[in-house]
Amino acid sequence: MYFEEALRVLVANKMRTFLTTIGLIIGVFAVISIEVLGHSMAGSISETLGALADNSFVVFPGSFQGNFERAAMRLSDLSNIVATVPNVATAVPIGGQRELVRYAHNVGRFTLSSDSNPPFANLPLAYGSYLSDDDIANARDVGVISWRAYQRLFPAGGDPTGESIYAGTHRYVVVGVLAEPRRGVLNVNFGGDVSIPYTTYVREFVHGDRIFAARFTVRDSSTIPQTEVAVIKRIRELRQVAKDVTYQTFDKAAFTGGVNSIFTAVTIVVALIGAVSLIVAGIGVMNIMLVSINERTREIGTRKAIGARRGQILWQFLIEAALLSSFGCFVGMALGLIAGGTINNVYIVKLTGYTAAPPYLQAFLITIAFAAIVTFAFGLYPAFRAASLDPIEALRYE
Amino acid sequence: MSSALALDLAQITKTYKSGSLEVPALQGVDLRVERGEYVAIMGPSGSGKSTMMNIIGCLDRPTTGSYHLDGEDVSRLDDNALATIRLRKLGFVFQGFNLLARTDALKNVALPLFYAGIGARERDRRAMATLQEVGLADRARHKPSELSGGQQQRVAIARALVNDPAVLLADEPTGNLDTRTSADIMSLFDALHAGGRTIIMVTHDESIARNARRIVRLLDGRIVADDAVAGDRSFTSF
Ligand SMILES: Nc1ncnc2c1ncn2[C@@H]1O[C@H](COP(=O)(O)OP(=O)(O)OP(=O)(O)O)[C@@H](O)[C@H]1O
Ligand SMILES: [Mg+2]
Repeated sequence: MYFEEALRVLVANKMRTFLTTIGLIIGVFAVISIEVLGHSMAGSISETLGALADNSFVVFPGSFQGNFERAAMRLSDLSNIVATVPNVATAVPIGGQRELVRYAHNVGRFTLSSDSNPPFANLPLAYGSYLSDDDIANARDVGVISWRAYQRLFPAGGDPTGESIYAGTHRYVVVGVLAEPRRGVLNVNFGGDVSIPYTTYVREFVHGDRIFAARFTVRDSSTIPQTEVAVIKRIRELRQVAKDVTYQTFDKAAFTGGVNSIFTAVTIVVALIGAVSLIVAGIGVMNIMLVSINERTREIGTRKAIGARRGQILWQFLIEAALLSSFGCFVGMALGLIAGGTINNVYIVKLTGYTAAPPYLQAFLITIAFAAIVTFAFGLYPAFRAASLDPIEALRYE
Repeated sequence: MSSALALDLAQITKTYKSGSLEVPALQGVDLRVERGEYVAIMGPSGSGKSTMMNIIGCLDRPTTGSYHLDGEDVSRLDDNALATIRLRKLGFVFQGFNLLARTDALKNVALPLFYAGIGARERDRRAMATLQEVGLADRARHKPSELSGGQQQRVAIARALVNDPAVLLADEPTGNLDTRTSADIMSLFDALHAGGRTIIMVTHDESIARNARRIVRLLDGRIVADDAVAGDRSFTSF
């Protein structure tokens, strides 16, 4: 009955109902669509990061310096670092070399990169195996190829392990193929297309003792930040590096943290948009409720004369406010889901191949919360005013 | 408690305070109305008719004095208790009908039953029976805007009767109606009176007032005359 009457009032004033709820529609629309997009971006990024091993970090020269040569490390220092810096388990040089890679008539330009065991990229295998300790110890001419390289070099498909591919003048035997990575928003390919033992890489491509980047694995992942500091300190000591030379590191936890802090910032902005639109829309709802109550003063007086109690009048107007704000919020939610979903499909999914289920439950909860807050924060006062009207004055009201 | 009195007002005063000014609207009113009586209240403008009706109708409390409605002392009840008394014991008919515009006749009549917490089906059944009583069963699904003034007032009367009140209160019930329609409403009141209803009606119109069996006249907040209606009534002995 309350519901039915409230509905009748809102339907009777369609235009007013619509205009009043526009603020809510826009507010909820903005919050929900950003929520949907943020959700799929976050999912996509964590998907990408899943391909990174979490027990290792990379040290390389700081980006903002002219002369990388001065920051070069010595290959021969790596074993010293393993021996002297606590928590460091292994240290291998990393590097990449663009080469024309060929199998039969199939050619492609790919990066040969140094790798070790466990491998740099945390991807499952489609065929064969990863580089073995034995391959590394003996600097064998073997390689694990990426899915991308596999598709180019072996268009006919099938298991390529045991086949020989050529990179420049070198011949490598394929021992494994990495599965196709599920690309994230970042679309980075951790590791190269042809991963060869770092020992082989050093033999073929490192001239002299200079290397520019090294990958360290640790025993305890929880102290990676401290270990990174200790390793850089040791590198400086060993080479007597000048003060203005800088190094930087890359590890999964720090990267994930960076990404997360971006999302936290986005979330705060969304919450602010939400709060502002909530207040603006709520004031609109309050205003229209007060207008409505004013117009219906005689009606309220009549209801009271007939015997309606305070609580019954209060309830009637609270339900009207609830219906009004729920209408706006749910229309906003529907539009937000549609818009967020569309943008997601057109851009994010196309770009990254990553499909996330829309966060229906969050969207629903946000919407309910919005509607409830508007109803109680901005509908309660008008309803209370209506319930407190003096029946005699209300009946006399023209 | 099985008093035959529907209303018993004893030494009722009502003083309105506006700032430092005190307006004595009622200055010691005694009025006893038995069950089944049909009373008209008359008096010049400002004499206190509305003030008295508000007190009788439990919309307001007297400043001093006591008021028993249907045997119950209602002069010192709080707002919610008064609302309950209005719901159970009183029926209001207004000059301007005061129907809910968006709601059909049946739902308008059923409204007091809703506030009394009666289920939808029973509400509709009783509202329909009451509409039948006022001769408007065939208009149950019409909105007020689709009804004539007289029909709207009948719907309002049905709404006042639906909870079977002890007293029916009407403030200028024919004030917005033409002479013919007024006569219709008056014959409906007559029928209700004949059926045993207690009716109290405020009016400016002497000819309307003569439909009642007793006329109480107010002047400056006091009852100055209280007479049985004599003459043209068929059952009065002349
Ligand atoms: N709320 C109020 N505040 C102050 N004075 C009031 C109030 N209501 C009524 N009065 C005064 O009380 C007196 C009686 O008023 P009341 O409305 O009862 O008269 P009435 O007989 O109904 O008059 P009318 O025929 O014009 O309706 C008047 O002097 C009026 O000005
Ligand atoms: Mg009056």
